[in-house]
Amino acid sequence: MHTTPRQGSTMHQQSKTRLPAPRRRIITLLLVVATAVTFVAVAGLLAGCGSSKKNTTTTTGAAGAVTPAPPLNTHGKKGGSMTILLSGDVDSMDPGYAYYALDYEIVYATQRPLYGYKADSNTVVPDLASAMPIVSKDGKTVTVHIRSGVHYSPPVNREVTSADVKYAIERGFAGNVANGYATSYFSVLQGAPKALAATPAKVSIPGIETPDKTTLVFHLTQPSGAFIGALVMPLTAPVPEEYAKQFDAAASSTYGQHVVATGPYMVANDASGNIKVGWNPGTFIHLVRNPNWKASTDFRPAYLDTINYKEGVSDPTVMTRQILAGSADANGDAPPSPPELRSILSNPTQKKQLFFIPVSGSRYVALNTSKAPFNNVNVRRAVAYVLDRRAMRLTRGGPVDGVIATHFIDPSFAGLGFEAGGGYSNPFATPNDAGSVPKAQAELKKAGFADGMFKGPTVTMVSDNTPPGSNTAKVVAADLAKIGFKVKNISVLHQTMYSKFCSVPKNAPNICPNVGWLQDFKDVQTIMDVPFNGKSIAPANSSNWPQLNDPTINAAMEAAAKLTNAKARYDAWGKIDKEVTLTAAAVPWVWENFPTLFSSKVVPQLQTWNEGAPDVNWISVK
Amino acid sequence: MPSSTHASATSDSVQVSSLLEIHDLHVSFRTRDGDVHAVEGAELSVDRGSTLGIVGESGSGKSVTALTVMGLTRFPNATISGEIIFEGTDLVKLPNNQMQSVRGKRIAMIFQDPLSSLHPLFKIGWQIVEAIQAHEDVSKATARKRAIEALREVGIPSPEKRIDSYPHELSGGMRQRAMIAMALVLKPDVLIADEPTTALDVTVQAQILDLIRRLKDEYQTAIVMITHDLGVIAELADEVAVMYAGRVMERTSRERLFTVPELPYTWGLMRSIPRLDAPRPGRLDSIAGLPPSLIHLPSGCPFHPRCPYVMDVCLKVEPKLEQSEPGHLVACHLQVEERRRLGRELVSQHGSRSDER
Amino acid sequence: MTTENHESVGTAPRAQGSGGGPLPALGRAFRGLANFVNSSLFRYVVRRILWGVVLLVIVSALTFIIFYLFPSADPARLRAGRNPNPAAVAAIRHSLNLDKPVYLQYWLYMKNLVLHFDLGFSYYNQQAVRTQIFQRLPVTAELALGAFVLWMLIGIPIGIISAIRPRSVLDRMTMSGSLVAISAPVYWLGLVALFLFAKDIGIIHLLPGSGSYVAITKDPGAWFGSMILPWFVLAASFAAFYARMVRAQVRETMSEDFIRTARAKGLSERRVIFRHGLRAALTPVVTMAGLDLSGLLGGAILTETVFNIPGVGRYAYDAIVNADFPPIQGTVLFSAFFIITANIIVDVIYAFLDPRVRY
Repeated sequence: MHTTPRQGSTMHQQSKTRLPAPRRRIITLLLVVATAVTFVAVAGLLAGCGSSKKNTTTTTGAAGAVTPAPPLNTHGKKGGSMTILLSGDVDSMDPGYAYYALDYEIVYATQRPLYGYKADSNTVVPDLASAMPIVSKDGKTVTVHIRSGVHYSPPVNREVTSADVKYAIERGFAGNVANGYATSYFSVLQGAPKALAATPAKVSIPGIETPDKTTLVFHLTQPSGAFIGALVMPLTAPVPEEYAKQFDAAASSTYGQHVVATGPYMVANDASGNIKVGWNPGTFIHLVRNPNWKASTDFRPAYLDTINYKEGVSDPTVMTRQILAGSADANGDAPPSPPELRSILSNPTQKKQLFFIPVSGSRYVALNTSKAPFNNVNVRRAVAYVLDRRAMRLTRGGPVDGVIATHFIDPSFAGLGFEAGGGYSNPFATPNDAGSVPKAQAELKKAGFADGMFKGPTVTMVSDNTPPGSNTAKVVAADLAKIGFKVKNISVLHQTMYSKFCSVPKNAPNICPNVGWLQDFKDVQTIMDVPFNGKSIAPANSSNWPQLNDPTINAAMEAAAKLTNAKARYDAWGKIDKEVTLTAAAVPWVWENFPTLFSSKVVPQLQTWNEGAPDVNWISVK
Repeated sequence: MPSSTHASATSDSVQVSSLLEIHDLHVSFRTRDGDVHAVEGAELSVDRGSTLGIVGESGSGKSVTALTVMGLTRFPNATISGEIIFEGTDLVKLPNNQMQSVRGKRIAMIFQDPLSSLHPLFKIGWQIVEAIQAHEDVSKATARKRAIEALREVGIPSPEKRIDSYPHELSGGMRQRAMIAMALVLKPDVLIADEPTTALDVTVQAQILDLIRRLKDEYQTAIVMITHDLGVIAELADEVAVMYAGRVMERTSRERLFTVPELPYTWGLMRSIPRLDAPRPGRLDSIAGLPPSLIHLPSGCPFHPRCPYVMDVCLKVEPKLEQSEPGHLVACHLQVEERRRLGRELVSQHGSRSDER
Repeated sequence: MTTENHESVGTAPRAQGSGGGPLPALGRAFRGLANFVNSSLFRYVVRRILWGVVLLVIVSALTFIIFYLFPSADPARLRAGRNPNPAAVAAIRHSLNLDKPVYLQYWLYMKNLVLHFDLGFSYYNQQAVRTQIFQRLPVTAELALGAFVLWMLIGIPIGIISAIRPRSVLDRMTMSGSLVAISAPVYWLGLVALFLFAKDIGIIHLLPGSGSYVAITKDPGAWFGSMILPWFVLAASFAAFYARMVRAQVRETMSEDFIRTARAKGLSERRVIFRHGLRAALTPVVTMAGLDLSGLLGGAILTETVFNIPGVGRYAYDAIVNADFPPIQGTVLFSAFFIITANIIVDVIYAFLDPRVRY
């Protein structure tokens, strides 16, 4: 269950789903950055980037379960169907709006953006485009050629042209389509709006030229790796204007209910293009083959004939057992429950069907640095030492939940060079991550508490009122009591914890034990900048819960953001990770994984770039 | 003195075989708190065309006695012993299915609150027709005609319309008349009336008592009138039994009771009769104390804790119901002379109730 | 409702014309209709319907107000997505009419509802709320009616039997069993049923489990199979509750004076129980049953959720989870409508079942 849909990149308190915003952001940014990195490598603007692949195969020892993605399924059996269980629903089938991990599961099977991914890696490959983009010397002109012979599904049927991509991007800026990332990455196009246009306005972007039916020329106001990276986003999937404009005229575009496909699959529709026969919101999504799709134009094998998404599966135990029993084939948006995961891991056969993919981000305990006693770095460090991270992780299911976090840039970035900058430090190491009272007391002595026991007034804490957050808070309070803290806890709804207390500096308690931040982007900047930059402190909806406002760190972040050289960038952000960790303003304790379970009837294939969602373009029946 | 025109029945009913005789009746109920001894050795009888009045406070066993006669106390937790001889048959031993044909047909009963005693969701006529058809194999139309006649007989105006009324659509008096019609429509030999006028206002009470008396004379029905009100007894009864704690403590003719009552408990009941000629503000004298628990009875005479004339012997020995003079049985340890003196004194002070209504 | 005591002797009889001359059937029918229109029951029903409409307006207004006071539920921001700039939010706000004052929004909503029976569109997936609810109502009705029949068939006989045989083995067994059924949360019970009897994940592979719902029009056999577990799970606590209620009602009724009268009339015990006892004891059950059924028509949220049945309850659940106002408002209005309607119907039925009740 997600409690704060589409509201900032805050960690969700209950079980993970692929639905909510944090994940959406992760995916978007993962796509954009991974893409950008690849493009940059291809374009030769960057030399010496060692190995950006394999970032999902981190070895984590006994601490947590991360499974390598299965090898690419190149010789699958053609035909058959599979069933994917969903707890929620896509919020739109419109490629111009789609912005959730679950949306991407469907959109990347039904639409062809300019670029895409194979199932086994984060490496970008041309999709609708016929080759990698051609970037001019000054970086301000990007040319993309698209394939010929790509046709829309019925009722449109005609061949895709470059003008369709132009229309698709332009409509994303209209308020009634309301793309979530167009203004972030596509506003660098010459003449593109900086904000969404009022509804329903026809947005025209002179910076997109279509000299012929297969060529797109993008004119940028400045060089932008982010723009090139974003060509992988669904916004670049073509939309036929003559068909879509009737739907785009509505106050809120209804194209999503009449969407036509270019990918191997389409949502089953009727003669008028209405997809209600294939998508009954909250009930099912039915993908069938797109009759106008030609395998010769695509890199996807698309083995399956049909894919049934069964929605409304609310109980994770029922879901898990249905997959194990083979009445369904994969979980599409919600993870199996921890007890089920442990049971599967202890079964050698079932274990092979389960895959853990890191989500990149951490849960942490925020200590309010704006007031006593946590305005004292030594008092904060005492907390960092005394917390039993292992016990805290147990409140969320133990090792199946993820890897114990000791800083912020997570292991999925391993090998990129952060180590050189001082990343991957563990300044508050304790035996078995179980916390250390003597080390904590040493810090308290430095803070002036002679016997190592805290003597100040009662500290306040605002926590979740339901498990697992409430249990985590209990562990925190119990650990703090070991070094003399008296904790007054207020238990509220997870959402209220953020909206009324932790995100409102005026009302913020001393301790917020149930906060967390997921990356916006497969880029370290988004892990560190938003939650720890002094700029992020706002009177309301603040995302800097410890209210950390360290001028040195702020300045380091400003400088790092401007770096374009990858190595320099990794160095800089690795240092910032270390510095922030050393402030102990936030005490990270877990980097989570997302588990995806497959039935024994299918060959597992995962979208590693999409938190390991099942990739129906590559899955086949056994 | 008595307004009844009917001569009183024989005063020696104990020896002569009557229509309905009750000998040494014991009824007790097992409950979680212990055994409730509701009736202990009751001796009663009633004859055709005469009225037996049973008087006592609530809990004295008078209603249980009546219900036992009807076979309506045969609960799983009830123990019943003794004899109830009705026309030579012992009803106590009669099997349920045979008892069912006696109930309503030979012995009928009317109850205190006609509103709650009539089924609220069925029409009056339906309920009477049902009673007829339960015992006689007649057509609905015939039964309905008889029901209308019965309603007419008990003085309900335009009975052919009233027959289709629901109980709540009738006044209290009309309801009780309907009840009586239902009880008498099969011309039973015995009519047991359990506080039939208690829930009614005074003028209606008199009408109902008149009705019962008229019907008794007309059909020679034996009436058992159960009441806590000596006024009703004075109005109607030929014989009177005073019950206390499940026992019959005094039995005699109405005339005798209202001239020489010999039981302190009876005196108490008499004092509690409201007097129309008494000064208005005078509170009713009621008997001090509460009726005894039927689970833990006092030793000796059950009335001794409330008796103003209590003696040592009363605490130890239970008095037997003994003849004080022919036709007058009393269970009391007081000396006979003393009892009679006190009884007469009370009557002369308090006045007889019998002709005040 | 009132219970009136009519003084009988002098007052005019209630019904008239029963002895009147012969009338043409048509005239009699017309007069019957006229009588009904003039009857207090008719006026009462009209009054209740009007009041029901007022109540619906109040309910919708309250839902509106509560939603707008609810802190995190700005639909424009929900739609605007990540890091929305104020202009984007404003544009969306405008397109959804959310920039208008609340009373005006409410007015627009009510206008569309009354004029076009339009319940608006989901903020979450742009689907028409009316279409969704109408599509899902039959499903919920199938679930509710099936469970209703089941719990009445189970609960009432058990209640009667254990009332007639108090403290018998059957009574003790059913009553303690019913305590369990009442206290068992539906969700938990649903899971237990699934893990025991579901074809795919049950210990005994017996019945179609969660997510097996098929429309009755598509495959009646599969539909019936898929509904068996949900029916029993939904009916369980109701059946238990009704058994206890009926037992209490019957026991209370059987100690009433009129039951004693019926026995005193020499009726057979069977007739006393079934004719006199049950007639009085079961009348209040009608009210309860009507209201319970109507409550379920608004959606059996937990049962629909655990068995993944696409009914109104699940729709409401999803809407609440997504803070999606139009479906919330729509489902609330529909439940309110059902409950209000059922109340009126039950009151009318009651007037026929219990002559003491007059309006």
